[in-house]
Amino acid sequence: MIIEKTIIQSNNQIAENIWKMQFESPQIAEEYAGAGQFVNILPNDDWNHPLRRPMSIASVEDSTLSIIYKIFGDVTEALSKKKVGDAIELLGPIGNVFTKWDSNVFPILIGGGVGLAPILNLKDQCHVADIDYATIIGAKNSNEQFIDHDPENKIYLTTDDGSIGETGTVMVPLDKIITKIDNPHIYACGPEPMLKAIHDFALKNEIPTQLSVESYMGCGIGLCQGCVINKNNKAPKEHSYHEKYSLVCLDGPIYEAEDIYFA
Amino acid sequence: MKRKISILPKNSIEIGQVSFNNPIWVASGTFGYGTEAPELVDVEKLGAIVTKSITLHPREGNPPPRIVETSSGMINSIGLANIGVDKYIDEMLPIYKNVSTKIIMNVAGTDLMEYVEIIEKIESVSSDLVGFEINISCPNVKKGGMEFGVDNSMTAELTSELRKRTDRLLIMKLSPNVSDIVSIGMGAQDAGADAVSAINTVVGMSIDSNSGKSNIYTTYGGLSGPAIKPIGLAAVHKLYQKLSIPIIGIGGIVSSNDVMEYILAGASAVQIGTANYRDPGTGEGIIDELNQTVENSKWDSVKDMVGKAKLLS
Repeated sequence: MIIEKTIIQSNNQIAENIWKMQFESPQIAEEYAGAGQFVNILPNDDWNHPLRRPMSIASVEDSTLSIIYKIFGDVTEALSKKKVGDAIELLGPIGNVFTKWDSNVFPILIGGGVGLAPILNLKDQCHVADIDYATIIGAKNSNEQFIDHDPENKIYLTTDDGSIGETGTVMVPLDKIITKIDNPHIYACGPEPMLKAIHDFALKNEIPTQLSVESYMGCGIGLCQGCVINKNNKAPKEHSYHEKYSLVCLDGPIYEAEDIYFA
Repeated sequence: MKRKISILPKNSIEIGQVSFNNPIWVASGTFGYGTEAPELVDVEKLGAIVTKSITLHPREGNPPPRIVETSSGMINSIGLANIGVDKYIDEMLPIYKNVSTKIIMNVAGTDLMEYVEIIEKIESVSSDLVGFEINISCPNVKKGGMEFGVDNSMTAELTSELRKRTDRLLIMKLSPNVSDIVSIGMGAQDAGADAVSAINTVVGMSIDSNSGKSNIYTTYGGLSGPAIKPIGLAAVHKLYQKLSIPIIGIGGIVSSNDVMEYILAGASAVQIGTANYRDPGTGEGIIDELNQTVENSKWDSVKDMVGKAKLLS
């Protein structure tokens, strides 16, 4: 884990309110361990916003690292105004990685809202490793989608308004495909209601599932103890003082579904 | 990136019988047990590390959400999550033997006997701790030390009971959420405290205007960061007018200029808090900056500046 002054290589809108930013970040790229890890970004040097913003890593190629972010406040708005060549400070890489995805299982990758980055990252990794997989991406409407609905290649989009792909949540295609797949493993990242639905589905149907959870973070390095998630006692975590909570920054952000619950 | 500098001894300070290489400490709750950040920071440069609050029994802390950013600050309601004093003695004290930085243990309790028991447990074993900072002012714990922190006779009684049980530094950490911080500081001083630190966080609240929901599970939390610096400065200045023991300034420090302000207001040392969340190397950077700032100033050392703010009336 290091603090690195990086240089922005690109910063482009890829869908409505969704942007992709690339950094020249050789030191963090060197330490990067895999899909699921995140960086803690300092968008501004001033102290109007004291805290960094955790952003999941969407790709690492040589010394170039990318994130995908959604604009939903003045900090992400300011991030979208950054220019190529601007310096930006990253702290990372932080957190654990998705595991157990190999040719013995059939990964179902599910992303929604701001949770696209680690899922697209894992998708690329499965592709490179020549592992057969399915992808489900949920959004409000077609403006927020930036890949093609392509059921023949097992890429399923869903939108709340039905403007592209299937109407409804990511659970609609998941319900349909799950029975046709041998040894499915679910990997998901997205807003809490989506993760909760997948969490309950996974437990009910006994499907191995890893969830990348969102949490409000003060520091990302275990100092503030702010980013806890409710955990079941069956899985002791290194950075948990007792039984109830787990620190998302150091124990997570990825958890087996049965290890956590959503209040 | 670690920078090598020679620490100017002229910026060393004394609190009670203890000398510190410099007046830059890190605040309780922002640096863990002092053992977590070394990967990113040269902790040996810091004047002192104040640990997170340790309680008699382990504490899980409050349910999430525990943190929210606010304008130039943040609100936290962690709820004193910690491993408890017994585990602290077994696991942390041995590690401190290999850390040359001075470590001050922050102690929190729900009643007088809890504070006493913690100090007695620590004093019954060998350790390199240089002192205790007593949290009488955490706003996030029901039945927390707050009753002590708002009442000067209770603060005095607590200070006096702890004073009987330790010769190490005894620093009482004062709350800004009181009507008269000076009388509480006087209570601590008269009962034998070596110093007071001020301020702890300011009670605050934050609401998501879209959902209408509180951003903090416990409704109220502790506001910290640059937003509270003027409150901290005023508290330090008021305390300095009346107290003869040293004051350790806390609240919104992010630069050496902030440190200068606190020292001019009357602080003998300062603690860096929220800034550690952005960069745990903040204190380290400020030490370098401060040496330069003092060098370029009309003062010979930090000690010369204490309380020298020029007032206009």
